[in-house]
Amino acid sequence: MKKLIALALAVMMVLSLSVTAFAAEGDVVLPREETLYFAGQQWGAVNSWNPIGTNQNNSMAIAAGGGQRTIMYETLYMWNILDGKLYGLLANDDYAWNDDMTQLTFTIKDAAKWSDGTDVTAADVIRTFDIGVEIANGTGSTYGPYIESIEGEGKSVTINAKLNDAGQPVNPLKILDFLELTLIAQADWIDQVYEANDGDATAILNDDGLNDAGELEVPYTGPYTRYFDDDQKVIFIRDDNYWGQDESMWGKLPAPKYIAHAMYADNNAGDNALRNGEVDVSQQFTANVQDMWEKDGLPISTYYMDAPYGICVGLPTAWYNMNIPVIAEYPALRKAIAMAVDYDSINANAMTGQSPTFVQAPRSLMNPTDAEQAMYDHDAVADLQWVGNDVDGANALLDEAGLLDTDGDGFREYNGEKISLTAVCPNGWTDWMAAMVEVANAGAKIGIEITTPYPEADTFNAVFTDPDQTEYAIFMWSPDASTPANPWSRVNQFMGMDYVGVQNNWSGNWGQYVNEEADALLKQIPTTTDEATLKDLYTQLTEIYLTEVPSFTLMYRPAVFFTVNESVWTNYPYEGSTHTMADGTEVLVPPTDCTDGFGIAALYDLELVG
Amino acid sequence: MKGYRKYFGKKIFWFVLTFIAAVILNFILPRLMPADPVASITGKLAGGNTDAQAVAQIYERYQEEFGTNLPMHQQFFKFVKNAIHGNFGLSFSQYPRSVSDIISSAIGWTIALQLPAILVGWLLGNLLGALAAYIRKGFDKVLLPVSLFLSNVPAFGMAVVLLVVFGVYLKVAPTAGGYAFDMIPHLSWDFIKSVISHYQLPFWSIVLVSIGGQAVGMRSMSIYELNADYVKYSRFLGIKDRKIVGYVFRNAMLPQVTGLALSIGTMVGGALVAEIIFSYPGLGSTMYSAVTSADYPLISATTLIITVMVLIVTFLLDIIYGFIDPRVKAAQFE
Repeated sequence: MKKLIALALAVMMVLSLSVTAFAAEGDVVLPREETLYFAGQQWGAVNSWNPIGTNQNNSMAIAAGGGQRTIMYETLYMWNILDGKLYGLLANDDYAWNDDMTQLTFTIKDAAKWSDGTDVTAADVIRTFDIGVEIANGTGSTYGPYIESIEGEGKSVTINAKLNDAGQPVNPLKILDFLELTLIAQADWIDQVYEANDGDATAILNDDGLNDAGELEVPYTGPYTRYFDDDQKVIFIRDDNYWGQDESMWGKLPAPKYIAHAMYADNNAGDNALRNGEVDVSQQFTANVQDMWEKDGLPISTYYMDAPYGICVGLPTAWYNMNIPVIAEYPALRKAIAMAVDYDSINANAMTGQSPTFVQAPRSLMNPTDAEQAMYDHDAVADLQWVGNDVDGANALLDEAGLLDTDGDGFREYNGEKISLTAVCPNGWTDWMAAMVEVANAGAKIGIEITTPYPEADTFNAVFTDPDQTEYAIFMWSPDASTPANPWSRVNQFMGMDYVGVQNNWSGNWGQYVNEEADALLKQIPTTTDEATLKDLYTQLTEIYLTEVPSFTLMYRPAVFFTVNESVWTNYPYEGSTHTMADGTEVLVPPTDCTDGFGIAALYDLELVG
Repeated sequence: MKGYRKYFGKKIFWFVLTFIAAVILNFILPRLMPADPVASITGKLAGGNTDAQAVAQIYERYQEEFGTNLPMHQQFFKFVKNAIHGNFGLSFSQYPRSVSDIISSAIGWTIALQLPAILVGWLLGNLLGALAAYIRKGFDKVLLPVSLFLSNVPAFGMAVVLLVVFGVYLKVAPTAGGYAFDMIPHLSWDFIKSVISHYQLPFWSIVLVSIGGQAVGMRSMSIYELNADYVKYSRFLGIKDRKIVGYVFRNAMLPQVTGLALSIGTMVGGALVAEIIFSYPGLGSTMYSAVTSADYPLISATTLIITVMVLIVTFLLDIIYGFIDPRVKAAQFE
């Protein structure tokens, strides 16, 4: 039997070795004190390193969470969700609009260089945008409608806004998004890829950025590059020639030599690794996260040491489907359901208290950050806001609207038939499922039958993005969290008419709500710079939203979760912590996993324990 | 020999027919799901685009690339034509990775985990079952309830218990991955040790569950055989116990061989639980994510592998049966 087991193990080892690649040089065991381990961002094998490609499953290098991730490829600017400002990365802090906001100019840092040693220039920014439009990648399809052209020479860049019929820029806010969300690719490399694929758009999008030997071909500007990746992990190694150690940027290299992310099958596996000290930074929702330090005494912490533990900028929302007659016809029904929902229970069950309550951050169109809360007049809409669990108020609204239970079966009727709705979210998204259950419970309390089917995510996606669907009456999705174009972009998703009737609509207004007045107000915002006028516009929009209730937010949620184990590294971002910039100014560091937007500043401030 | 040829000719005919039916079902069933993976890919790409025409163009481009714009029968023939050349197309969920690439990087892990686990579980289970039947008394009194208990523990339950006890509390085994979190694959004793230590828990989670079932089955069969007339007659003739046990084992083993063959045939799907709970790489978890993301090409390819494996194993079983049991051979020649 021993022989048999030995044989079995030998077979197993030979087979497992044969399916994995061998690293040719460098460390084969990552030194623990030089490596920063992540969980919760990468869930499967990396399939592409192409920054102008599409559908990359390369979450550490080519993705956005609380701002664009810039460890390998970089953006022109970094977004800081805490102060709502852009900070120069490849570009200097000198971006400026002309008077009528039709042109935005800025310069690229003199020190900014590609990994091959060449300068980053205007040509790279121009080519990155142009190729995007030509092959219709994410950059092209997102910003093509707002940017007419980009021009420039040497280090100077000018972005020309697309103009509407009235000669005004279509949306200057979207151009600011471009600055912080577009990874800049090298013009020469783009030309090479273009030629290698004979200009075929699909082939360029699908190019994985590796040569036939599996080596990286794409030049990058960021502090890290690909070291190793397989089905189980992806590892980045610091580029010690990184241009950003120049005094005009960070003035030094980031602390960890390696950044590694193992693929965990689910949140539990990631949490176990975090507890065991095999993960330093976890971008996962952990139920009752405080138990890790309060009960288990582990060296684990979050941005705030008390609830809600993180910075919540996301607004997971229940959308009403206006293709359902009773929903479209009765704003009272929409508001009644929203008023009857027990949001404290959602916060307790779905978020284990990791969300500010609707007393702390009253219901509006804004996320709970101070920056956005200051953008509407709280007193003007106070009468319209609700905190939930108001069954009497909801019943009174429905009675008044004439939606009554006439046959005594406990359910209200519409056109003689019981009102029966669905509240839907993808299967397995347990926190959302818990929220949908609360919506159904609210319905039961006010005589509306609400059932909760949970289709698989892909089925859900196919249905809710169909503007003509009548399958889901109430369904859950999140609008934009935080970018320079917000809160406008989010409010446009709540009530903008741009998205009405768009097939495969992933962009916004998923309930297909039509309101000309709101749409007209929304159109004014992008070109308004006067703060008082902006506040007035947002207050009017909030009034419409809280009266008409085309959707209602169920909880506040972080753009990215951030839980850290401080057994190896410490000095992570915490409440109020700042990074000292080259010019001596102190800037708040957002808890965006040391990788997203201005949050990457944390990598330069990390210290080893002891 | 003629009878042999006729028998297997007939068998092969039915296997080919089953195979064709299975290929058609493997192709059609996933595509009947009410999902549109092309729309998902389009959505990720078109995010923020309000130009309906531009979005439609992107959608059409991907329809063309995946061939989903063609009628179902044309898609099917294209699929078959490509599959013969080992090309199962591009995966939807891991696009632009090819299905062949995904499968080839995962299948080694699954076989390395499942094959030894199934064999060890089968051998240990049958050995213990036969011993329990033969020795009876105290050994059987302990083994039977333990086996019954083990065989009734669901696979995910066993995996979670092992994970929590040995991985989380005792910390004697790692909780996730195929090798250490701080290593990259290379040829060294440390790496091999790491692979083995990560192998332990998923391996035993499969072995322990299968030992129970095999032991219970083998024990019953052996007890039945031990009471058979030929055993009593052999004893009466004074044949040695060891020889008799040999006869008994050979007869009792027949249904167990079928079980072994089928579990080898279906091992690709059977690895699912261990792979997910221990974040172990392999085809089971690949298949699971393919199903949840409506990745037709990946589902069709993995189910095709299972179909082919089951068919091959069943076919081999027919041949092996003839060798193990002369009665079956006789029947085959009739």
